[in-house]
Amino acid sequence: MTTKIRICGISKTYLSDNGEVPALSLTNLDVNEGEFVSIVGPSGCGKSTLLYIVGGFIAAEGEVLVDGKSIAGPGIDRGVVFQEYALFPWLTVRRNILYGLENREYSPQQREQIADRLIGVIGLKGFEHRYPRELSGGMKQRVALARTLACDPAVLLLDEPFGALDAQTREVMQDELLRIWLETRKTVLMVTHDVNEAVYLSNRICVISARPGRIVEEFTVAVDRSIGREQVMLSEAFNKVRNEVWLSVRRQAIAAETQHGFAPA
Amino acid sequence: MDLRLLDRHGLSGTAIVAMRVLAALRILAPIILFLLLWQSLGSFHLVDTAFLPTPVLIGRALGDLLTGHEIRDNISVTLVRAFTGLGLAIVTGAWLGVGMARSPVFRSYVSPLVGATYSLPKTALVPLLILWFGIGNTMAIVAVYLSALLPVVVHTYHGVMATPPVLVWSAEALGTSRRKLLWQIFLPHALPDIFTGIRIALGFAFVVALSAEMIASTAGIGRLIFLYGENGSYDYMFAAVVSVVLVAFIADRALLGVGTWCLRWHASAVDVEQ
Repeated sequence: MTTKIRICGISKTYLSDNGEVPALSLTNLDVNEGEFVSIVGPSGCGKSTLLYIVGGFIAAEGEVLVDGKSIAGPGIDRGVVFQEYALFPWLTVRRNILYGLENREYSPQQREQIADRLIGVIGLKGFEHRYPRELSGGMKQRVALARTLACDPAVLLLDEPFGALDAQTREVMQDELLRIWLETRKTVLMVTHDVNEAVYLSNRICVISARPGRIVEEFTVAVDRSIGREQVMLSEAFNKVRNEVWLSVRRQAIAAETQHGFAPA
Repeated sequence: MDLRLLDRHGLSGTAIVAMRVLAALRILAPIILFLLLWQSLGSFHLVDTAFLPTPVLIGRALGDLLTGHEIRDNISVTLVRAFTGLGLAIVTGAWLGVGMARSPVFRSYVSPLVGATYSLPKTALVPLLILWFGIGNTMAIVAVYLSALLPVVVHTYHGVMATPPVLVWSAEALGTSRRKLLWQIFLPHALPDIFTGIRIALGFAFVVALSAEMIASTAGIGRLIFLYGENGSYDYMFAAVVSVVLVAFIADRALLGVGTWCLRWHASAVDVEQ
């Protein structure tokens, strides 16, 4: 297996009124091609920061390599989906999905075909000409996913993508993401605080410590996902890993709480 | 807004028309009551109509003015001044606001100036502008421009600054160049704020155009109002004021209509209509 993303000695310090706040400290992580890796940890541990650094949105010490090349900023090889959807509110559903395609060398017909196909995939036929404010949270996140998939990035960066959705919608969206991932086998790096979600979707889970964030434990998830959600989630293999990850995150959360007593972030 | 909800709940056409008439009456009733009170002050000789002409007298004067070309000519002079100044203020103000938001260096130079001059009543500069530009269109346009500029600058600045990083990041990850970010992300995001700024600037533009004309001018509705006042024709003076109110109201509603259409994607699109 080839390494798709290599994160080498990443550190990040924020400047605040009270001085320097270390957010991440010397994080190393390799993500293989076609692998689905989740990062879980207590809130405020800098896990989203790590994702933004890989996205090239914020600068940090250390280096991020994609396909062996050091990244210099955001790129179309890394598609990103944010928790708050980040749809362009002044564009319709269709125009949002077409947005990234307009920066690339497609013929107008190809663009329309891609948009048509993705609108079908996310099940939003009939909503193409609605504006984001007219959509529910789940629909918005579907559009955000479609907008990112339209450009066919090799890497998907997901920042708590379903965190703002209700429990039922979240499960539906997880299943859709799983289906898309099984079909396309893109390399995925996802940040989440939902342990079930991480175990249900990922090949590998990294637990990050309280601030300054650092990868403290890794878990490999060997679950056959073709058997359906109920079978997976009721299986012993799933629950064994789930409990291990949950305990690990819990330890970090407790550590974070005692730490907050001295230095509120 | 509530009318539209009723529409959705399947009320009949006549019921909706009746609701509309009632809603219009609710807005008009206080105005009618106010006019009746005003009229009675004159009709019952509580106040001398030479000092406070009654609505009926003003209406008669207004009819007289509207049939002649005096008011039309003077209003068009004022409108040209107000809209030229406003137009220049929108174009330059939007760019200044964008520049302030996007360049910290530019902001560090401009922001103290904006802060220091924001609360200055721009009409105070009219004597100086007369010295520089003489009496006429240029002076009035510059005065309007100066008063309309800052609301546009400040609102554009805030609109651009408030752009969520995730929108910018999403655009960048979808291959948008830094140069295109301005047109594709920052300006569309700032548009609702820019419209708010323009609406405030429109109000200022009328006030300052009229004030400048009252201080020094050979034409314009401000001067006409001032002349009628000087000559003691208060009924005609009030009639001219009423015509200004009507024009300003129509201009504001027209701007609101354009804004609502342009911002139909925005969450405030429904509220703005009211």
